[in-house]
Amino acid sequence: MLDLEDVHINRGGTHAVRGVSLTVGRGEIVSLIGANGAGKTTTLAAISGLLRPRKGKILFRPQENAPAIDLTTMKAEQIVAAGISHCPEARQIFGNLSVTENLKIGAYLRNDADGVARDLADIHARFPILHERGSVPGDKLSGGEQMMLAIGRALMSRPKLILFDEPSLGLAPILVEQIFEILETIRRDGVTVLLVEQNASMALEFSDRAYVIEAGEITLAGTGKELASNSDVQRAYLGAA
Amino acid sequence: MTLPYLIDQLVNGLILGSMYALVAIGFSMIYGIVRLINFAHGDILTIGAFAGLAAFASADLPFPVVILIVLVAGAVVGMVIERTTFRPMRGSPQVTGFIASLAVSIILENLAIMILSAQPRTFRIPAYLNALVDFGPVSIRVIDLMIVVLAIVLVIALTSFVRFTKVGIAMRATAENYDVARLMGININRMIMLAFAIGSALAAVAGLMWGSKYGQISPLMGVLPGLKAFVAAVIGGVGSISGAVLGGYILGLAEVLFVGLLPPALSGYRNAFVFGALILVLLVLPNGLLGRNTETRA
Repeated sequence: MLDLEDVHINRGGTHAVRGVSLTVGRGEIVSLIGANGAGKTTTLAAISGLLRPRKGKILFRPQENAPAIDLTTMKAEQIVAAGISHCPEARQIFGNLSVTENLKIGAYLRNDADGVARDLADIHARFPILHERGSVPGDKLSGGEQMMLAIGRALMSRPKLILFDEPSLGLAPILVEQIFEILETIRRDGVTVLLVEQNASMALEFSDRAYVIEAGEITLAGTGKELASNSDVQRAYLGAA
Repeated sequence: MTLPYLIDQLVNGLILGSMYALVAIGFSMIYGIVRLINFAHGDILTIGAFAGLAAFASADLPFPVVILIVLVAGAVVGMVIERTTFRPMRGSPQVTGFIASLAVSIILENLAIMILSAQPRTFRIPAYLNALVDFGPVSIRVIDLMIVVLAIVLVIALTSFVRFTKVGIAMRATAENYDVARLMGININRMIMLAFAIGSALAAVAGLMWGSKYGQISPLMGVLPGLKAFVAAVIGGVGSISGAVLGGYILGLAEVLFVGLLPPALSGYRNAFVFGALILVLLVLPNGLLGRNTETRA
């Protein structure tokens, strides 16, 4: 569904991503794990069109048999329209917009008012707190509520692929568990997930496959289970002695 | 002091306040979305006044059509300023943007002097707009009523647009965070241009009002009202539309009452009074009356 081929990205004058190639298959949860500054967020920014790679291809196939489109030449809004939603690092809720407005703005490119209303109701059913606090400004929510809002907002565009940037960041452990279970239900609803995480143990447990990125390069790849039992991964990311 | 005199002064204050409010809204909207003060904003008022003069003079157009022409003229000039000056400066240090807009202002003023000459011109309005309407002890000109009503209509229209429409929400989202707005599929260039178009259209209408009210226009007429509307925007809290409206009316009323109620010897100090008020407000409320904490864009 998504193929990165030898992608190089400059960010802030440094060569932050150096030839990353990775694949996300339809219906998978794939995670990209790595330390702070390894190039995870930069990679996601290039997929969603916020940054333009200096080299390489990012191919996306919205439908099974559709021709692949190269995202590197597209604008961010065209990429959203093609079916990719990006739930950014630190949630980035619009603090001046109400909770409901935050959700509605997620459906900005959609013109099917009925469908949007249905999806809004679905999200309210999934996260009742977003309904209760609908008229509250986004910045008045707690961290966990903001995460739910960010997920809901990302779903409102009806994406085929969602990019999650560190959804567990800054959340209490019990909420982290809950967030990963939500990712699992999103996948069950037919949305593919590409996840970037520092919380490697949780990410590997919930992922079908994973990649390890170090200093802008992919150093390891495998299924979630394989990587979780890999001794290098354990030493570097899972806190094993 | 008689009651009719006081009422006259209040009406004059409301009119001046309406014009300040319309110009201040543009300062605030543009600041809100690009975090820059457009120093050429006052010159849009001049352009609106001359567009109005031309529209009135060229044909016997009905007043609503003249208003529409002025709105469009302001919007077009605002969009051109955004596209040619502010967009290329995006991402540069704030100072660069300030200086660039100052340059635009100087260019516009000198172009106007070259093309139109520095000589003030009489701004004639059709007789029906000059007619008097009696309200018990006072009579008010039709145009004066129109100015206040039009300003209120425009403010309500704008607020509803920004609050309730999808594009309005997208504009607020863009003002808050460019990158996340883009992730929602919002074309931020279009939103920024729209903010310039709306803000400038309102300033141009204020220019039309200015000419209609005071009967005389000139290429540099926008400078002082522009500065004062900027003061109004700061008093209200830059970035807040309701703050700009509130600041505009407070400043307009205060300025007129200051001149009208104090001994004539002091009336020469009206501008000193306005800027003194600014300093006072900033000392007590650095974010203005309705402003949020001023934050810079990450």
